[in-house]
Amino acid sequence: MARAKIKRASTRVDMTAMCDVAFLLLTFFILTGQFKPAEAVQVTPPGSVSNKHPIQKHSFEVTIDKDNRVFLSLTDDIKGEVWDELVQEKGLKVTPQDKEDFKHADFVGVPFSQLLQFIKIPSSQLKNVKMDGIPIDSSNNELQAWVTAAANATQGERVNWFIKGDGQAKYPTFGKVLDAFKKNDIYKYNLITTQEGIPPGTALYDANLKEQHKGIK
Amino acid sequence: MAEMEAKADSGKKGPGVKKSKKLSTRVDLTPMCDLGFLLITFFIFTTTLAEPTAMNLLMPKDTKDPNQENKIKESGSLTLMLGKSNVIYYYFGSDPTKMQTTTYKDVRKVILDKKKSTPADDLFIIIKPDKDATYANAVDVLDEMTINDIPRYAMVDVTPDEYKLIQQTEQSAGIK
Repeated sequence: MARAKIKRASTRVDMTAMCDVAFLLLTFFILTGQFKPAEAVQVTPPGSVSNKHPIQKHSFEVTIDKDNRVFLSLTDDIKGEVWDELVQEKGLKVTPQDKEDFKHADFVGVPFSQLLQFIKIPSSQLKNVKMDGIPIDSSNNELQAWVTAAANATQGERVNWFIKGDGQAKYPTFGKVLDAFKKNDIYKYNLITTQEGIPPGTALYDANLKEQHKGIK
Repeated sequence: MAEMEAKADSGKKGPGVKKSKKLSTRVDLTPMCDLGFLLITFFIFTTTLAEPTAMNLLMPKDTKDPNQENKIKESGSLTLMLGKSNVIYYYFGSDPTKMQTTTYKDVRKVILDKKKSTPADDLFIIIKPDKDATYANAVDVLDEMTINDIPRYAMVDVTPDEYKLIQQTEQSAGIK
């Protein structure tokens, strides 16, 4: 009689399936993840304890870089209207093509005098272009004109006013940006920051703890 | 690897007997799987960390009319002046010559002491960043207001007299 053979179970597991899943996930995350747009202006915002995330709708974002230059970027949903309003207010001579160019431009970083040439530069080449930023001196505050245009163009609609400053930017520049808003009777802004932990033992920390306990009960 | 060598040995045993061994087409996928997950972990960590947050800032209306200006009790006011090299100069009441020096680490204690010693309705903190302060300094102090639950504060520019005082202090202390 033949002896029953005890088959030794192999400890090896077929990795094919797991490997498939891993790479499927990898592909998914790479494709869905948004690449950080290659910014021509590098800005490192300071930290704050705020944990609110900015709303990327109807947003008017002023960026201050570490050399105190001021840039402006608008979301696509208000770009067209702001451009029309600005052209009308400033009496600029533009073509419909210019408006298209403006819609494709990521941001504005030059005075009005160079604006039409600036928006024709493809974003991949912006790194090599010398930009002076938008003038914000009290004698020639062009940012104020932009704010006026945006406020008038979106009447009735809520615009989110964002200020994104580099931590190393000097305060007077920030003050001048605020002045440009204040002259247009806009007093509420959102400062873009990176999130920081709340220091334990402080009033805000205790308030948050209470909030959490309420939620549990 | 050890496995393959062992098999190759066994194939050569017994002269004359030629066994054609079929090589397995199966590849060990463990390292590839490891690599896959490593990359996933890497991408997940690098993408979520960069998300920005927004902090609310409400500024008062500029008014020329003295009747409309906010009145502050002198006993309840604390003025923080932000100077260069991350130094804060502060004074109580309305006499800037009595100013003291502190840093961003210790400013919380100053604020809390003031908060404890004054009635809640009188407390008012005035933030005055000077020309050499950075944007990060201003945000830090505004953040301090949120952290310590200060209901009333304002951000204004330094007066020329105060700026002179700060410069004198900076010179004597050798702050560049």
